Amino acid sequence: MNSLFRPRKRPDAAILDDHRPLLRSLERRGLIRGGLSLGALTMLTGCDVSRPKSVEDALLAISRMNDDVQAWLFDPNKLAPTYPASMVLKPPKFNAYYDVMDVKPVNGVDWRLELSGLIADKRPWTLPQINALPQRTEVIKHICVEGWDYIGEWTGVPLRTFLERVGADLHAKYVAFKTADDYPSSIDMPSALHPQTLLATQYAGDTLADPFGYPLRLRTSIKLGYKNPKWITAIEVTNTYLGGYWEKQGFPWFAGI
Amino acid sequence: MSLRRGVMGGHHLVAAAAFLLLATPTTSAQSPTPGGMPPPPGMSMATSAAMRFPQPVRVGDLLKRDVIQPVESQNFLGTVQQIVRNPDGTLAAIINLGGFLGFGSRPVSVPLDALVLLGQVVEVDAFTPAQLRQLPTYSPGTAAPLSPGAIIKIGLAKPSH
Repeated sequence: MNSLFRPRKRPDAAILDDHRPLLRSLERRGLIRGGLSLGALTMLTGCDVSRPKSVEDALLAISRMNDDVQAWLFDPNKLAPTYPASMVLKPPKFNAYYDVMDVKPVNGVDWRLELSGLIADKRPWTLPQINALPQRTEVIKHICVEGWDYIGEWTGVPLRTFLERVGADLHAKYVAFKTADDYPSSIDMPSALHPQTLLATQYAGDTLADPFGYPLRLRTSIKLGYKNPKWITAIEVTNTYLGGYWEKQGFPWFAGI
Repeated sequence: MSLRRGVMGGHHLVAAAAFLLLATPTTSAQSPTPGGMPPPPGMSMATSAAMRFPQPVRVGDLLKRDVIQPVESQNFLGTVQQIVRNPDGTLAAIINLGGFLGFGSRPVSVPLDALVLLGQVVEVDAFTPAQLRQLPTYSPGTAAPLSPGAIIKIGLAKPSH
């Protein structure tokens, strides 16, 4: 059946020959492509196509509003599900913004945890000092924004215990991290104080292996995987929003689960 | 976790897989052998594997795990049946290659250094699916199977997706 939109009386076919150069220059696909990238595509995807700053700002404002709603919904006393030790994946799954061969192992002997911002005692910490603090073990699920997950057993000092010990301002807005692999990150204070947020030093009862963040990494059960910086070298307590590696590329900052 | 998305076989599939392998963008520009890519010419599989921070893993934990192709579509290649020690001392994984619901697969011996561990699944990064299919069918005899309690070391990779 012919298209309903086809005219009953068709123009002379010779008209196509007369206007052949013009028809060639129409580049219909180019027009569709251009229209999409300026309009719907830009609004719908996180792709790095050129987009006006106004659109970028509007999207960012919506994302920050989502962050605020998530922060408002967050229940600091609600625990994430835990699992039996028999379900722990050994070894854990490696992930970073680069491949495993580019991991630069950190020397735990020279390593120091630097402190800055709204903290009373800013003396740096050594690994044995941190290992001497009260420890907690959590068998929790690591959920990646990419869609995969695994169950892991993490041990370390709860971040709350550490922040209380160093006299951090627990009413500050943010706890920010710097890492040896240049992966800055920051989380909200209520999440930092959650009992299942650890400064992890062990996995499945063994010292953390190099690819998984030795000597110290964040492991929180209440946020997506990318909110768990590895190879932490510095902690800052602040009221200034510092974002993070993926957040600067448009990922949501709160990323609660 | 189901990665059995298709049955391997057919030359057009091989061609499509090869195209995917070429078309998959490398996520790490500075890496000599990016995730999911075979070692560059001149680099041995052992050298490449040693650069991948080999981690201890219990043989029993590896058995029956899915073996996938290191491409974004994570094509299912087979399952790990056994880990064996060859007469020359090297380790190999016996992989049940291909098949569907357990039928039509055949075991092949793949050097352990050709494999990487990626969370719950194992990837073959030093052989293409076509190369795997050309391997002879493994027959038990000369190689000694490792007990499930044995600990071996296997290199890591970041996800290919």
